[in-house]
Amino acid sequence: MINDIRVGALIAYCSVKRGNKKTLMFIVFVLSLIFMNLVFLPSMIGGMTVLFTGMMQDYPYGDVVIEPTGDNTYINNADNVLQKVRAVEGVRAATKRLDVGASIEHKQKVVGVTVTGLLPTEEYEISRYPYIITEGDFLGELSRDEIIIGAAIAGTSPVFGEIYDNLGEVRAGSLVDVTYSNGVKRTYKVKGIMEGTFELVDLNALVHYKEIEEVYGLEESKATSVVVRVDKQGTEEQIQDKIREAGVNEQVFTWADKSESLIRQAMQSLGAIDVMSKFVSLIVGAALVLIIIYINVLNRKKEIGILKAVGITPGSIVLSYAFLSMFYVSLGIFAGLVLYFALMLYFQANPVVFYETMEIRPQIDPVLLIQSIVTMLTLSVIAGTLPAWSVSKESILKAIWSR
Amino acid sequence: MIIVKNLKRYYGTGETAVKALRGVSFEINKGEFVAIMGASGSGKTTLLRILALLDDATDGEYTIRGLKVSSLPEAERSYYRLTQVGYVFQDYALINEMSAAENVYILSMMEGKSRKESYETALEALDKVGLKEKHNRIPDELSGGEKQRVAIARAIAKKPDILFADEPCANLDTRNSKQVLDVFKELNEKYGQTIIMVTHEPWHTEYVDRVITLEDGSLVSDVQKRR
Ligand SMILES: Nc1ncnc2c1ncn2[C@@H]1O[C@H](COP(=O)(O)OP(=O)(O)OP(=O)(O)O)[C@@H](O)[C@H]1O
Ligand SMILES: [Mg+2]
Repeated sequence: MINDIRVGALIAYCSVKRGNKKTLMFIVFVLSLIFMNLVFLPSMIGGMTVLFTGMMQDYPYGDVVIEPTGDNTYINNADNVLQKVRAVEGVRAATKRLDVGASIEHKQKVVGVTVTGLLPTEEYEISRYPYIITEGDFLGELSRDEIIIGAAIAGTSPVFGEIYDNLGEVRAGSLVDVTYSNGVKRTYKVKGIMEGTFELVDLNALVHYKEIEEVYGLEESKATSVVVRVDKQGTEEQIQDKIREAGVNEQVFTWADKSESLIRQAMQSLGAIDVMSKFVSLIVGAALVLIIIYINVLNRKKEIGILKAVGITPGSIVLSYAFLSMFYVSLGIFAGLVLYFALMLYFQANPVVFYETMEIRPQIDPVLLIQSIVTMLTLSVIAGTLPAWSVSKESILKAIWSR
Repeated sequence: MIIVKNLKRYYGTGETAVKALRGVSFEINKGEFVAIMGASGSGKTTLLRILALLDDATDGEYTIRGLKVSSLPEAERSYYRLTQVGYVFQDYALINEMSAAENVYILSMMEGKSRKESYETALEALDKVGLKEKHNRIPDELSGGEKQRVAIARAIAKKPDILFADEPCANLDTRNSKQVLDVFKELNEKYGQTIIMVTHEPWHTEYVDRVITLEDGSLVSDVQKRR
């Protein structure tokens, strides 16, 4: 066995050292493309996921979100919850919100929306709502009779355009009538239009928390959610536990818990594409590696015959091809990684733009990279040894003196 | 040592089969230096390949040291080729991607010798055929005769029990031919190696003990020479 390895290594070494360099380069080039194919699309999809989850954090859920237990519509005494939450170490900011259903009317056009009642000054620390006003201004502490509406319902969204029903060119300063789910009707002046290029934002409307309290006759600081941001990303789960320990008896979710169901739905199709693309790349990659190595082996059929004829064991011959293809594939992976990181750098600087404003920056996933490397190496060993093994089983005469 | 009985080798089957060997019988004793002669196409190479376990007979019996060859498993044949047999191919059969030295020393490596020892053995063998200086060249950088001598060095380096040589001097001038034949003679006399050599040249027979002549796949003469 040791001799087999030594001789196998010698054969592989000689054939790399004196083999055709152009062929080697070509093989490595193709293998690098195969590797790229394995890792590139998943990275893009990873980028989309990050973008999407980022939206979840920036708008509806924060890092940690507290929601009413059981069938309750509201968290009772949200101020008490807030007090406890804010005392937890690692919490950067927290606020309460009231989400209700309503319809908005403007010049005979009616659109159903979710209206979120929030405390405008606190939102600066919590969400990106205050920063995405494209027209007019964000709500202030004293805002009553004022509303912020999403670009998609306003009809000004360059992204969603006519996909959704909209109010037809509502501008800052326009008046809209809002009919709440309990039948109460209010007229608001549009203070600003927000554009997050994200349905959950652009199909939404914002008013002051006090508005909702008043309209629904709520008392004692009710809330449909308490949204929490943490100091350090990645500590969400610890904070979630700490909040529970602090005596908050409502349901506490991390953004990941929360988005999971949502993302699972939204990403399911994407995930399926991801899995399929990986699967197809793998099959295509395996086939290509096999073909390349197989042709290589066929080209050396005569040598294999000679080696056998002079008494080199089939084991050494097969091993030499395993070494050879591992060498090719390692070079291919290396070249592929260089190519990959170059592309990653490029796309980090020049993200792919979706819907004009959604910038997708591919994510580098080390686990995926390692997986792909291991897969390629395993494949290469199989692809290298199978053909060599089958040729080494052929009769010497056939291998050397016939084609 | 080698006993061949009614050995036949047909290429292909049925009407179109080429009958390269039509039933050849002989015995070769240990330490004999035998020349196989005959016209081109008479079946010399075919016979030699079968004797060296590179090919199988279609019919007939072949025993080597009392062992029936047809019942040997491939692994054993391979081991036998490595350890007991040296074979000089008519078309050299060198590995193109290996230098002269590597072509020779890979076999010692396979036998488990150290790299250094293998290298020294290889150089020694190349020296015997006058190619020590060119041990770093690959086959493409060698002339036909030089390649042939590398093939010879590969076959003799391990001092095999039986050396098969298929027209080892075909591409050599008289001086080089003599050098090679002297090496063979020395191996034969000093180490008692059995040598079976195919040749066309009548003067080569001066070196050998016995001449077997084939004609159209049959043995037509078997002459023991007195020395
Ligand atoms: N692989 C093969 N398939 C079919 N016929 C073959 C094959 N190898 C050899 N032959 C035929 O068998 C016969 C004997 O061939 P062989 O190579 O043994 O001749 P040889 O005596 O070595 O000739 P030379 O002196 O030219 O080398 C020839 O007629 C040849 O054409
Ligand atoms: Mg011949």
